[in-house]
Amino acid sequence: VVVAEVDEYLGGEEADRIVRPFELAMPRSLVEAIDLLDHDDPAVRPIGGGTALMLMMKSGLFRPQRLVSLRAIESRFKTITTDSDGTLHIGAMTTLATIERSSEIRRHAPVITRTMRRLANARVRNVATIGGHLAHADPHLDLPPLLVALGARLTIAGRDGERTIPVEDLFRGYFETTLRHNELIAEVTVPPQETQRSFYLKWTARSADDWPALGIAVALDEHHARIVVGAATEKPTRLAAAEAALGSARDEKALRRAGDAAADEAVLVSDQHGSAVYKKELLRVLVRRALEGALQQ
Amino acid sequence: MTEIMARSQVGRSLPRVEGRAKVTGRAEYVHNLRLPGMLYAKVFRSDIPHGLIKRIDTGAARALDGVHRVITGEDIRALIPNPYYGPAFHDQPILALDKVRHIGEPVAAVLATDPHIAEEGVQLITAEYEELPAVFDEVAAMTSSAVVHDVLKPAGTFPDLKHLEGKRGTNVALDFHLRRGNVETGFAEADQIFEHEFRTQQVMHTPLEPMVSVAEPHDNALTIYTSSQSPSFVRIEIARLLGWPENRVRVKVPYLGGGFGAKLYIKLEALVAALALLARRPVKLALTMEEQFYTITKHPATLRIKSGVTKDGRIIARRCDVWWNGGAYADIGPRVTQKSGFTAAGPYDIEHVQIESYAVYTNRPPAGALRGFGIPQLVWAYESHTDLIARALKLDPLEFRRKNILREGKPQATGTIMRDAALDLVLERLALRMNWRQPFDHGTGTLRRGRGIAIGFKASIAPTTSVAIVNLYADGSCGLYISTVDMGQGSDTAMAQIAAEVLDIAAESVRVVHPDTDVTPYDMATLGSRSTYHMGHAVRLAAEDARGKIAALAKELGLPQGSNVPLPELFRRKYGMQAGNIVGVASFVPPYSSPNHETGLTPNATPYWMTGGTGAEVEVDTETGHVRVLRLINIADAGTPINPRIVETQLSGGAIMQLGFTLTEEMVFRDGQLTNASLADYKIPGFLDLPAIMENEAVAAVEHSGPFGAKGVGESATFGVSPAIANAIDDAVGVRLTALPLKPEAILRALHAAKGTPLPEGR
Repeated sequence: VVVAEVDEYLGGEEADRIVRPFELAMPRSLVEAIDLLDHDDPAVRPIGGGTALMLMMKSGLFRPQRLVSLRAIESRFKTITTDSDGTLHIGAMTTLATIERSSEIRRHAPVITRTMRRLANARVRNVATIGGHLAHADPHLDLPPLLVALGARLTIAGRDGERTIPVEDLFRGYFETTLRHNELIAEVTVPPQETQRSFYLKWTARSADDWPALGIAVALDEHHARIVVGAATEKPTRLAAAEAALGSARDEKALRRAGDAAADEAVLVSDQHGSAVYKKELLRVLVRRALEGALQQ
Repeated sequence: MTEIMARSQVGRSLPRVEGRAKVTGRAEYVHNLRLPGMLYAKVFRSDIPHGLIKRIDTGAARALDGVHRVITGEDIRALIPNPYYGPAFHDQPILALDKVRHIGEPVAAVLATDPHIAEEGVQLITAEYEELPAVFDEVAAMTSSAVVHDVLKPAGTFPDLKHLEGKRGTNVALDFHLRRGNVETGFAEADQIFEHEFRTQQVMHTPLEPMVSVAEPHDNALTIYTSSQSPSFVRIEIARLLGWPENRVRVKVPYLGGGFGAKLYIKLEALVAALALLARRPVKLALTMEEQFYTITKHPATLRIKSGVTKDGRIIARRCDVWWNGGAYADIGPRVTQKSGFTAAGPYDIEHVQIESYAVYTNRPPAGALRGFGIPQLVWAYESHTDLIARALKLDPLEFRRKNILREGKPQATGTIMRDAALDLVLERLALRMNWRQPFDHGTGTLRRGRGIAIGFKASIAPTTSVAIVNLYADGSCGLYISTVDMGQGSDTAMAQIAAEVLDIAAESVRVVHPDTDVTPYDMATLGSRSTYHMGHAVRLAAEDARGKIAALAKELGLPQGSNVPLPELFRRKYGMQAGNIVGVASFVPPYSSPNHETGLTPNATPYWMTGGTGAEVEVDTETGHVRVLRLINIADAGTPINPRIVETQLSGGAIMQLGFTLTEEMVFRDGQLTNASLADYKIPGFLDLPAIMENEAVAAVEHSGPFGAKGVGESATFGVSPAIANAIDDAVGVRLTALPLKPEAILRALHAAKGTPLPEGR
């Protein structure tokens, strides 16, 4: 394990530093990383791309004692592989830009590729990792609802080995996950999409590069549909009543029914993007449009 | 002197002279400055909007390793007995004294060898306040029992503020009144009366280089390096605060990463000066983007307009009541109230006009100058109002404007005769570019389209002075010494072109010496689109002075008139070697008559007028309220451009900035607390928000009183953007928004209300 004073690591003169000095550990393996994180101190945290953590550090919300960087762990956690049946395995340290440009992803889950175009910006995508994107549990992110809709699963590594869970079980609440402090997301698995059609609709209330006010992900085949809302809820949420209202019908009326059911069932949050009252109207419309989008795929 | 014998340097689209240094990272900024022994300051700020300071506990901060000193307002009062500054009122303490008046007000400063230790020190300071009732709304503040300043303290330099001296129990910092004709008579004669109220939100300049200043104490002197638009003002005001002569204060300004009015007058300079003198070491203070939200903003305003109109669509009377929310300190707000206030009735020929314009103190962060200096707020109101009247009278909005537009030679509301304002030309070019006569496809289903136009005008701030020095060195090369600040607007390039034109040399060869008050002469400030006109004239005159001195030298050397001996040769003949200088100096101040205090009338309100018009085509999603601007056309009268390409980029830049103020930007307050003081939640437009089509045009015009026919253009494209878009939304979907920003939620709510199925109120 290389542990350096971050002063030295950042290499700048004192005035260039944007955060207070702290210790940065660079483990060479996932096991070592987990070992370094096995600590009750909340000021010890893992860091992937750091795009979210650095904002929290600059604003003083988080003052680390030690950051455990995952950048030097085994390279297999940065790669994307495909099984013969089309199952995608995405290492947790894969950057969003790698995912954006991956031909395997484009072939097996093109909806992910399309979603990347408007996810944050090129500078963020170049460093942010999919593991960090999920573990941060910010409800205003784009991939969580989409991965839930696609039926993706996570492999979680901990001191006592690995466990796998559906992506939706990762999120406990607003910025809260079910991960234990000595656990790390190791891999995201996206099952074969086969005849399933999917769509992600990002809707921003302010500038185009804003976080979504509402994110709607849908995946459907002839008989089933998964409809998931993000950003306007405390965590990515499947809309069971909307799915039921849609059933196996795919006509305009059924799509409207699903939208109305979604507006009735979802518990929406008011924030700077808009009031819950407004988001309810948006949800009604955007669920229908997302379903239309999927059917056009 | 004759490496390129261009016929004309003025009128060339010369690329910016500093462009290469900027894109290669070699341009100089204060952020990069480090001095030996320099301390870093961080600021402890008030977390309440209004209250008496009971106690400031700095003990823990002082005990922190690496902290050099912690300074409060009382420490500064010991150094400077009356530590209040401001361009119009001496109302702003260097650090809060006795009370705090807005959230984010500087209360104490921590000095440390490392900015992070200073920041940590700030976290350890605590303050106790006795909270006072606060007022945030500009109309409520007119009658509120919460009074922000116990006593008004106008700066002695302005005779028109004298009557406010010592006034108590009021939040009104300045009231401006204009009476032309008799508005009540006009209303009585009118066939129809229209009355509307409009509001604008508080926004921020968002220069990507946040404010930064460094002060370096010397024996009996002080040097301030600062990211400022007004180095001459900084010198004068710091000297006044310290009771020193001007020649002991030196202010140096390199390039700025944007200013837009945020970096005018005193921002951090008084604080770093006091800190450096107390610590006896150089001190640097660099704000974060977040801190800028608490430092200076754009005035929110409430605007009421009432018009009397005849059957045939002539506006014969208009009354405007405007309340400007200046926040806790006046800054330049009173000047916004007056200098912009007198155009509140719009660029129309109206017989009876009454204007009541009030600068009001509230417990919000201070407001000052921001690109347009109040004009975008006024145009927002009068051009929305104009469109509403045209719609109600079933008149074409263009025809209605044509009928009423203020034409050349007619008196404006102040009585000043319009000269070279090109209002009608801007309107006609707008109509042409918008294909206004052609039928317009309003769309179907849930995507509806609409179009709208708006036009506004602005007077230049007057009277103001610029001084320039042209220095010709022994080899004939030229240095231009000016205190105009190139903050990205291209002034170095334009001024080099003007000097080169007169001296008959290539503009590229002119060296522009950046503001350094020990070296470059006085300039009022880089603001209000005044530099091209005022400094442009001073540079022209200084270059002409230099030419005159060259001719005199030739004559002295016995050369026949027009002998055309190169300058280096003249110097050699005079001094026997490569030696000497020719120094051309000139100052420029245009004529001006200040308005009568009771009537607001004056025969000469401004040296020149700036005109800007915008046309917008929008698409509204009727199911979400989302608006896309499909086409944005910006037309301005810039006189005859010195540099046409830079004029075009000033137009597009101004319009895009105002697009943000129209659609997305808003400082959101809850109980006086700003809830979105970061670029994560305060959204400026990105590339994907730009209109698919943007056209910018400076009309073919001449400002006969300007240097080479030119005048300022930095603000003109901001004027019409907001009302043009609101007018286009109304054209598309038949709903009218009267408050900025034009948020999709507000549009959807208005659409539901228009259908008779309003959405429930509340969050």
